[in-house]
Amino acid sequence: MLWLSASLLLGGVVFGLIKFSNNESNQTALLINTISSSDSDWVKGAKDAQVVLVEYSDFQCPACAFYFSLLKQLDQEFSNKIQFIYRHFPLKQIHVNAESAAWAAEAAGRQGKFWEMHDMIFENQATWSSQKNTEDIFLSYAQSLGLNSNQFKIDFDSNEVKEKVTNDYAGGIESEVNATPTFFLNGQKIKNPSNYDEFRNIIKEAIDSNS
Amino acid sequence: MTNSEISLKRPLTPIHKWLIGLLLLFSFVGFLDATYLTVQHFLGSSINCSIFEGCNEVITSRYASIAGIPVALLGALYYCTLFISLIAYCDTRNERILYFIAHFVFIGFFASIWFLFLQLFIIKAICFYCVISAVTSTMLFVFGILLSKFKKKENK
Repeated sequence: MLWLSASLLLGGVVFGLIKFSNNESNQTALLINTISSSDSDWVKGAKDAQVVLVEYSDFQCPACAFYFSLLKQLDQEFSNKIQFIYRHFPLKQIHVNAESAAWAAEAAGRQGKFWEMHDMIFENQATWSSQKNTEDIFLSYAQSLGLNSNQFKIDFDSNEVKEKVTNDYAGGIESEVNATPTFFLNGQKIKNPSNYDEFRNIIKEAIDSNS
Repeated sequence: MTNSEISLKRPLTPIHKWLIGLLLLFSFVGFLDATYLTVQHFLGSSINCSIFEGCNEVITSRYASIAGIPVALLGALYYCTLFISLIAYCDTRNERILYFIAHFVFIGFFASIWFLFLQLFIIKAICFYCVISAVTSTMLFVFGILLSKFKKKENK
């Protein structure tokens, strides 16, 4: 009886955790609606690259901030061989400031500094994530990047910027994105690598097989 | 099990019962914690990390695996072994199992010190789940030592 209870307890833990983890990643998909897909992407790296890495990301997600540092290293190593595309997938139900951060990046993009703002938002994630009024924080980032403050505010509040974020999000849903970050390498969804070396090997393999 | 077998077992004193109960509790908590990290590792999901922000940095660092085996899996096996050993001791009251537990807890304790050092000074990020593991293994170490000390006293 003692052994049976202990075995059931340990087995139940393993089974329960596997089930819980699967539900957790499916839940993010259930929170969202399906609309049309996006067409204007933020791209960096080699324009004519054979290898394209698309990231669906949420500025407020800690894992995305972690992968941001890996992507920076990948960019330094493979910038002439790979194209990076960033698409918004703000999980606003669990990350209240994720959507406004996406609008800030888009507004900066209207003045040609999407990637600079993207970096700044991720680098300072801990600062703005728990704040209530993020608009002023993002405005201060825009000012430090030398952007026109008035134009930034207009773009931040504009429907075009909001639509762009919504469309990216909808595109993610169509591509069956259900967690952030999600990466697509040449159109194929990949399992998130657990460290830089693993990520580097995946990219290197793709470059080698396309060269 | 027959009555004659039961009569061979020495009854546990209240302090032993408490110590074994605490050891079972902490080895179960440790198992839960390490199994969560192992499952997340194999499912490729990101870790839900709301208290400290450094979970993903720690869990995806190169120190998170030993020869390709995730440290979390080794942790889960460690806690599982301890839990099963405690159950075996409760069942058989075999003193050798107690001797094994009293020595086995050293592994978890020193491993935790090493991983805490790595987090604080090398990776420079703290993982909430690893802190839980450090606490459970320290508690297991303390209670494991106490249990064997009390048992030795009782046997004298």
